[in-house]
Amino acid sequence: MDVREQSARGAAVWPWISTVARLGLAAVFLTAGGLKVTDLAASARAVNAYRLTSYDTAKVIGAVQPFLEIALGLLVLVGLAVRLSAAVAAAVLVIFMAGIVWAWARGLRIDCGCFSEGGELAGGRTAQYGWDLLRDAGFLILAGILLVKPRTRWSLDGFLLGARR
Amino acid sequence: MSKGRDRADARRIVEQQKAAERRRRVTIWTSVAVVAVLLVAGVIGWGVLAGQEKTGADNLTTPSAAVDGGTAFPVGSGPVVVDLYEDFMCPVCDQFETQTGATIKQLLSEKKITVRYHPVSILDRASNGTQYSTRAAGAAAAAAVAGKFVEYHDVLYANQPAEGSDGLTDARLIELGRSVGLGDAFATAVDDRTYDAWVTKVTETFSARGYTGTPTIVVAGKRVEGPNRTLPTTAVFTQAVNQATG
Repeated sequence: MDVREQSARGAAVWPWISTVARLGLAAVFLTAGGLKVTDLAASARAVNAYRLTSYDTAKVIGAVQPFLEIALGLLVLVGLAVRLSAAVAAAVLVIFMAGIVWAWARGLRIDCGCFSEGGELAGGRTAQYGWDLLRDAGFLILAGILLVKPRTRWSLDGFLLGARR
Repeated sequence: MSKGRDRADARRIVEQQKAAERRRRVTIWTSVAVVAVLLVAGVIGWGVLAGQEKTGADNLTTPSAAVDGGTAFPVGSGPVVVDLYEDFMCPVCDQFETQTGATIKQLLSEKKITVRYHPVSILDRASNGTQYSTRAAGAAAAAAVAGKFVEYHDVLYANQPAEGSDGLTDARLIELGRSVGLGDAFATAVDDRTYDAWVTKVTETFSARGYTGTPTIVVAGKRVEGPNRTLPTTAVFTQAVNQATG
């Protein structure tokens, strides 16, 4: 009885927690993409600063990435196939974190380009890899919540299923 | 009675199956939609890039005075080549000019070095959308065509706007040009943004060479830096030149 009551309460609370996570994750991706989309050349340079690919490849990645981030942000915002969108977001975040770890391990001194066009840091400024990773880990938790509990309020998924959840 | 209950049970089961079927359909189609949206976004990004590249290629005017694949302006005739990659908005570049500029001029007059100036635009984002880095570098290219690159380069650093400000207006860029004796052809090139696409090409060459910050100072093909990748002092710079002289 007790347990069932608790789980019933949990069932009522989770959609709200997930909704907050959903809107937060959407804001993250829309901001990240929006800051980069206006200067694709700078975005290319930020990718190039990781020295993972040739400059020509970095240019393509730098151009495609902000558009993908914005599209993903919009998908998460409207709540379409939330579990899949969250899975894509989580995968993208893991790739970003791997990039930061790579830069850290190689001793590159760059701005991660997470919320800016990034690039190499001027003399005297130090890279904040630890904080960047911690922040991305926080975003990963948001995506994780949605992966486990994809049901949210005011989502297109809910509307399409015609169910009041 | 039991028959009625059976029928109700059956109806409930059918409805549950219908609901499950509906959920499955919605999940499939929303997933398809998500993948489609992401693909379209990727293609748009690709398309925008291709469009920008085409515009750049169509508008490219390489200034006659440029060397190194048409990406730098040579000054002097000494044996040691010094490549300077600078952004006119970059405060550390100004610091380098103030600190080491006189030494460079002296080494030039002693015919020890040839300086190749690469005016790049990596700080366009730091001028509130007016793209000062590109405009200033484009104006410098116009000055180079008129044979006054160094004079204009120096006057631009002497009047450097603060990073994050709107930068100097085109009118001010022209005014500064006139102050060093540049004429109408220069003014027209600045107004028409004749060399802006070329500046983008110079900046891409800079990136493709693996350089990411300004100033990047390369003496005889070797990058010169201070400890901890800071700006090299004049002593460090001079030492690099002397080493290259042999």
